[in-house]
Amino acid sequence: MAGLRARLEALARPRRPESFPVTFDRRRIYVLPTAFGAFFVALLVVMLLGALNYNNNPALLLALLLAGAGNTSLLVAHLQLSGLRIVAVEAEPVPAGTPLLLRVHARAEPGRTRRGLRVEAGDAQAVLSLRGGAGEARLALPTQRRGWLQPGRLRISTTRPLGLARAWAYAWPADDVLVYPRPETDDPPLPHGHGDNARARLQPTGDDVHHLRAYRRGDARRAIAWKPSARRDTLLVREYEQPQGADVVLDWLALAPLAYEDRIARLARWVDQAEREGRRWRLQLAQQPAIGPGRGAAHRHACLRALALLPLATGAEHNDLG
Amino acid sequence: MPACARSRCCRWQPARSTTTLARRRPSRSAPLDAQARGWSLAAAGACLLPLLLQLPGTLALGLALAGSVATAASRRRPLPAALRLVLSLALVAVVLANARFAFGRDTGCALLAAMLALKPMELATLRDARSLLGFALFAPFATFLLDQGPLSLVLGLGAAVLVLAALLRLSEMESGEPEVLAPAPRLARVLRLVAIGLPLALAAFWLFPRMATPLWGVPERVIARPGLSDTMAPGEWLDLMNDDSVALRVAFDGPAPPTSEMYWRGPVLWNYDGREWTTSPWFRGLPAAPVTHGPRRYRYDLEVEATDRRQLVALELPTEVPDGAQASIDHMLRTERPLSATTRWRMTSAAPVAFEPDLRGTLRAAALRLPDGFNPRTIALARDWRAQAGSGNDAAIVERALAWIGAEFGYTLSTPLPGRHAVDEFLFDQKQGFCEHFSSAFVVLMRAAGVPARVVTGYAGGYRNPFGGYWIVRRSDAHAWAEVWLPGRGWVRVDPTAAVAPERIYDTLADRASGGPAGLRALAPMYDVGDWMRRGWNDLVLGFDAARQQRLLRPLGGGDLGSSQLVALFALIGGAALAAMLWLVARGERERDPVLRAWHRLGARYARLGLGRRPHETADAWSARVLALRPQSTALVALSARFAEWRYARGRGGDARTLVHDLRAHRP
Repeated sequence: MAGLRARLEALARPRRPESFPVTFDRRRIYVLPTAFGAFFVALLVVMLLGALNYNNNPALLLALLLAGAGNTSLLVAHLQLSGLRIVAVEAEPVPAGTPLLLRVHARAEPGRTRRGLRVEAGDAQAVLSLRGGAGEARLALPTQRRGWLQPGRLRISTTRPLGLARAWAYAWPADDVLVYPRPETDDPPLPHGHGDNARARLQPTGDDVHHLRAYRRGDARRAIAWKPSARRDTLLVREYEQPQGADVVLDWLALAPLAYEDRIARLARWVDQAEREGRRWRLQLAQQPAIGPGRGAAHRHACLRALALLPLATGAEHNDLG
Repeated sequence: MPACARSRCCRWQPARSTTTLARRRPSRSAPLDAQARGWSLAAAGACLLPLLLQLPGTLALGLALAGSVATAASRRRPLPAALRLVLSLALVAVVLANARFAFGRDTGCALLAAMLALKPMELATLRDARSLLGFALFAPFATFLLDQGPLSLVLGLGAAVLVLAALLRLSEMESGEPEVLAPAPRLARVLRLVAIGLPLALAAFWLFPRMATPLWGVPERVIARPGLSDTMAPGEWLDLMNDDSVALRVAFDGPAPPTSEMYWRGPVLWNYDGREWTTSPWFRGLPAAPVTHGPRRYRYDLEVEATDRRQLVALELPTEVPDGAQASIDHMLRTERPLSATTRWRMTSAAPVAFEPDLRGTLRAAALRLPDGFNPRTIALARDWRAQAGSGNDAAIVERALAWIGAEFGYTLSTPLPGRHAVDEFLFDQKQGFCEHFSSAFVVLMRAAGVPARVVTGYAGGYRNPFGGYWIVRRSDAHAWAEVWLPGRGWVRVDPTAAVAPERIYDTLADRASGGPAGLRALAPMYDVGDWMRRGWNDLVLGFDAARQQRLLRPLGGGDLGSSQLVALFALIGGAALAAMLWLVARGERERDPVLRAWHRLGARYARLGLGRRPHETADAWSARVLALRPQSTALVALSARFAEWRYARGRGGDARTLVHDLRAHRP
């Protein structure tokens, strides 16, 4: 059953990823009865046979009216999708393990109401309703590994208006979305910085606290000042003097004792940490030019992207790259 | 970026694990929201209503009550399965007991109604709601099998529309769209769906091959509707005489006979057991007796309302037997299958001049047979008359009996229940009664006097509807009269009731209304119009059968079409209608602008050579690229430039028509 389904799906257009925007036309919209539709057809057949046998014209008229309405509902289901344009698919990268919010943007001529279309990718589902000719569906795709994520064929379907038939079309985005590496869960301390201001490197356990500020999401648990927090009844975080010019070097080679993926996780964690603490950092990966030094969102994304795109290790290669 | 970063090996797709496949469509078992539940229940109730109206009153009331209680009780959470089973079995038992365990069409329909009334007990999920609605659609269907009247039709079709509206709501719920439509726009959308499907449905209705003979028998009702039957016991027709519904509608080609000659002859009753008159099964197989018809012929269309019986009536006497019916020796018509729906018969009748002038011995004996030990006073009187008249003067005896009845008897519908000697009591004590008493007593009297006689039942009279110019015969026009056999003339109709109360037999609606309140008389025209519309509906829809279908198609196709040819014609027309729909659908997607359309086609022609325009390419960039690869494509460059001018600098690209023409003409 599942094999047959897969084979049937392989026959459906599009057969390979395609560049967006795509417009659904009759060549790529499929309509098949739902289970309830099949039941409805059986019901009508019984009614027709009974009506003809008893030469009962009102019953025949009833069956034919229902059949006519059912047939129209097939066309209406088709029209729900026909002319629909999937403009783009995009997503903010997220660390592996957290759901990726895939946004599917659709447009259509505003004349026709298109409500309650269902967008599916794998097991993720979302509702797409077009208002004024534009609509957006947000699919939460599960992520497990870093790297390029191919969202796969998106299925846009509807069983409207009567639930008798499902009309669907596939859209297969060629653009992959990126999944960042899963950061390490403990808080490894950032390595010592290099440069002129290296001595200004703050000591998290030291006394030179600049001031306390309110807890923000993502702050290291280690930075929480527990005693002042208990006194003020709110979570406070020590804010250290900003180290000027103390560039942190996040070096792949320096993490030699760790396993391959663990190194990536540690580096990902450090990138986030350095960004949060407002430090400048440089990411040095093996056999690649160094990224940075720099700071800010763009730099962080560049570093995480480089980490995400490190080749996936297979057994033997584990430490060779290091 | 490493070289392999975008290669296939680094990509992966979201895993489709088998555990999650099981809940691929979680929405199907989703609990119903209040709206969807309300719509489903309303639609199921609307389907049940016309069916309940066709069932006996107490049963219908009980089913409605049980259904509402069960539905209300299971509103919060479904009742336990055991309780549901017990309830269902109990209700089925009640229905069966109500029908006295006789199984017929009405019993089946009552069972369906019972099941449908209890079905909402398990209404919890989307799936339940859909199965309830699918099941509910059978109720209007079953209603139409029982009754094809306008009320059933309106209620049934309305209920079907409600079911579609409920399906619409369910589908909206399934799609997860939070917005809920108000009832009026929802109904409007459903009606639009039905209206779009209507042409196809009507084409199918007129063209769908009808079966001249059914595949399987038509189950009859257990409790038959009043109509003429093969038996008559004086005093038992009272419910028939009080039923003012229409039995026949007759449209004459040419002039109609006078009302006093409108005897719609039905079952002929030979056998008398002292209480009840019955037809003689022995005579059914015999060929019809010879008849010499009079010169005046009446051609007419007879439209018979459903009775669930096989007795057919015809104006006295039909000159030939219509298809689908048989005549017995006494020219009584029986149809081949029960008249469970409105049927139409084309007939010709003429009054008989000589009806079976030679009576066979066995028939003569049957027409003289009386049960022993009944009605001694009547028999004595008849022997007395015979002795006075002498042998061979049967007509004088008939005259004498009619004179006596006309002089001393009265007409009434309120008669006491007869005792053992029913005819004696009537003739000598009560001297009041209605057609059954008169005809029965008259025939007994004749037989006792040695005149062969038999009872004939049917309808007498009729009312002309001024709107349609056709005649209405109601069930209350049911009548019984006598036929006596006289030498040389054969069977002769004698109506002893007419000797007493002719106005009762040959009445019109106006006569009847004059006795009633003035309001009724004012309503008469409305009744006429209503019946005329009803007849139109019968004519157009109910009576449309294989024969009428052939008649409709004859002008189109010449000869008679076989059912396979009909199927082919239907497939042709249905296919054309579908193709028109599909064309409309495809048309909606078409590029509206003819220039753009031609431009896209041009691109498609180049795409076949692998030189298609890429989505990001401008017209100029594309033509330049094509020119670089195909030096002979200079015309394309010029065309692209013209197109770009027309598209982006309107008015400077020249005439759109010539541009379209050139774009179309260009071949790579």
